[in-house]
Amino acid sequence: MEAEVVEAELVLPNHMRFKKIQMYEKYPKGQARVRWKHLKQLLPAENYQNYPPHLPNYVNIESPPSAHPCKRICDITGYEVLELIMAPYFDPRTKLRYANTEVFKIIRSLPNDYVQRYLALRNAAVVLR
Amino acid sequence: MPFISKIQRQSDYSSFPSSHPIVIDNGGSYFRIGWAGESEPRVIFRNIIQRPRHKITGETVTVVGDHDPALLKYFDCTRSGPRSAFDSNVVYQFEIMEYILDFGFDRLGADQSQINHPVLITECACNPVQSRSKMAELLFESYGVPSVAFGVDMAFSYRYNQQLGICSNDGLAICSGFNTSHVIPFFNGEPVFEACCRTNVGGYHITDYLKQLLSLKHPHHMSKLTWEKVEDLKMEHCYIASDYASEVKLFQRGDKKAEDKTRCWQLPWTPIPTEEAPSEEEIARKAALREKQGQRLREMAEAKRFNKINDLENEIRDLEMLLQRLRHARESDIPSILGKTVYSSKQDVESALTKASQSLRKAKGEPVESVEKIDPSTDEKYNLIKVPDEMLTPDQLKQKRKQLFIKSTSEARQQKKQKQVEEEIERERQKKLEEERRLENPEQYLEELRAKHRELSEKVEQRKRLKTNGGHTNGNHNASSGVGRGERLNPSQRERMRLLTTAAFDRGKGEDTFGTKDEDWQLYKLMSKDNDDDYDKPDSDETELARISTRLREIDPTFIFKSDLGSTSEEAPRFVPQTKEDFQIILGVERFRCPEILFNPNLVGIDQSGLDEMVGISIRRLPKGSEDLEGRITNSILLTGGSCLFPGMNERLEAGIRMTRPCGTPINISKASNPIYDAWRGASDYAAAMQFPQQTFSKMDYYEKGEDWLRNYQIRYSI
Repeated sequence: MEAEVVEAELVLPNHMRFKKIQMYEKYPKGQARVRWKHLKQLLPAENYQNYPPHLPNYVNIESPPSAHPCKRICDITGYEVLELIMAPYFDPRTKLRYANTEVFKIIRSLPNDYVQRYLALRNAAVVLR
Repeated sequence: MPFISKIQRQSDYSSFPSSHPIVIDNGGSYFRIGWAGESEPRVIFRNIIQRPRHKITGETVTVVGDHDPALLKYFDCTRSGPRSAFDSNVVYQFEIMEYILDFGFDRLGADQSQINHPVLITECACNPVQSRSKMAELLFESYGVPSVAFGVDMAFSYRYNQQLGICSNDGLAICSGFNTSHVIPFFNGEPVFEACCRTNVGGYHITDYLKQLLSLKHPHHMSKLTWEKVEDLKMEHCYIASDYASEVKLFQRGDKKAEDKTRCWQLPWTPIPTEEAPSEEEIARKAALREKQGQRLREMAEAKRFNKINDLENEIRDLEMLLQRLRHARESDIPSILGKTVYSSKQDVESALTKASQSLRKAKGEPVESVEKIDPSTDEKYNLIKVPDEMLTPDQLKQKRKQLFIKSTSEARQQKKQKQVEEEIERERQKKLEEERRLENPEQYLEELRAKHRELSEKVEQRKRLKTNGGHTNGNHNASSGVGRGERLNPSQRERMRLLTTAAFDRGKGEDTFGTKDEDWQLYKLMSKDNDDDYDKPDSDETELARISTRLREIDPTFIFKSDLGSTSEEAPRFVPQTKEDFQIILGVERFRCPEILFNPNLVGIDQSGLDEMVGISIRRLPKGSEDLEGRITNSILLTGGSCLFPGMNERLEAGIRMTRPCGTPINISKASNPIYDAWRGASDYAAAMQFPQQTFSKMDYYEKGEDWLRNYQIRYSI
């Protein structure tokens, strides 16, 4: 390893004096990696349904959907789309919202992957599995 | 002001007695570790690891936190991005967590056989018990920590600010962190988790949103928009609009105010060296060279011509001599004379002679006399035409029919030629006329031509769109790039598809009689792709357009020829950033559009309430019978967490909360003394308190009391 890398102690040493069990003992090389449960898998295992609902837990402290009307803004420029008329500027082909004709021209010239990326920004993209 | 990692190794670890607690703020973005009672954490680094491969040895190594990017050049980072132990605000990946703790303790200077200090570590509100127990296990088993306490970061922050007098005993903490935002009410200095409220939006989402928006807007500078850089941009430029709609209107109108609010990040840019015009000498030298080469070519051509003429003259002389001999020779001698040559008869020799003399004339550049001489014997040629049918033998009748055919075709040819000549003259005339008009008023003429070009190209464009889209008129200019999103086929393509599908589904139904009739095989002809050709024939508009564009190209230097109509590739030339402006990243609406997601998580597709609404929800969740608390609580609102640093946060929140609270409710919002460090400072203060040891639990407790106890474990903050 290069001298400057060693000097900066960039790399975490394998052996730590202060540890009772070292990393290489816990996760030996060549062994299958531990698959850590993601939050989505963790939460059902918490069995929150077995506890009285007034006790706070990770799930029930979440805030509910907003009571305000959903704000619609132009996907490209961020300009506000008029709320009085129900989403008049909505392109049925790309499913993008747009503020004016110039933006419309832009969105119609966008390649498909850009359209999907714009949609993904507000979690509206088509997800292929 | 970007955060800077503090990762110097501390040297005074051994000077702390084993009862002195270590305090860890395990935040989503930064990991802070230090000693209880101190005002600043000793070690701070980004809560991420990378596992790149060393380029030379090929060994996979672990790098914790942020390091000098220059040092990472020795490593291959392509296959491993930065990774975090967090999923949302919960620690789930304890292998990564262990690397991070290793690094943290190492930099704190730990050098004994185990970490012999109590540890206070922060966690999220209502941490799932599995995460909590794994963390406790890790600390007990791997590090030999004697006792552990878990606490919620924003509660420590509230406690710290309470001691500074910024907020009172009863109040509300609004904490917007890296992964999530919380609102927690406090009663007598204790957090009321029953009434707390979490929205899964935080600084991470804001940076990600900004990064995505900017890279979509500037696809050429994608590589420049690293996470770290965008994070810096966010911290430096983003602000919260007091009213999104009116703020955005400023930009929509694009007046002076919007201009003032626009920020520009100039990327390193070097002007492309302009090509220097070649000097006079250079031009002269090149011209001379060209002239010389031309001269040589001309000489060569001349020599070739000379040789050819010579050859032809010799041939003619030979042929003439042959003819002379033939003329004087007797009839019987002719075959013997011709036997030595390639010619079979006298006529042959004569025709060869005329041919040779013609090509000689051509070679000498003299005008060739018309090959199609007016046949003097027209009448003779068509001798049978005028004779009535009755007078002819069947053989002659056939001859007559043949003659009739030949005559009509030759006449038609003549007519066509005549017409072409006339058209040529007409075109010439029009050209002259146009030229005159141009000379009369060049400006107007050019303008007219341009208008006509525009009109025609639109017309042609429209037709093309109709063709590919089947009646849909839309502004899509890449319609010609194949059959894409919602694009329709043209009628002949549609017909082909129909035939193919019927053919495909026709299988196996009853007896297969295909092919018994000859017409059946016609199907393949219809299916073949060649049918499209007639559809793409250029029409008169297109030819006219082509003519105008060539004319424009001739006389208008500013005219840019877009695409020739024959080919349908209409792709705009690839944009290449060149000018200084192309290397600027403009932050306009983005400056407040990105942080706006804290108030409208819907903008990034998260269906939860924003910060201002959360306050109302949290107050509604307070236990019944605490109406007086509800009134007081908004009088002491504390803003903490990294995402509260945006300018305009206080004002926006106050306006939002005022809307949801009864008229006259006192609202007092104050920012934490330091929204980022206060959680650690509060925890440090807490761990230094006399009663802290009673709040911790040991390995013994953990294994005896079990998971259910750990689930309900909660420290008392107001000690």
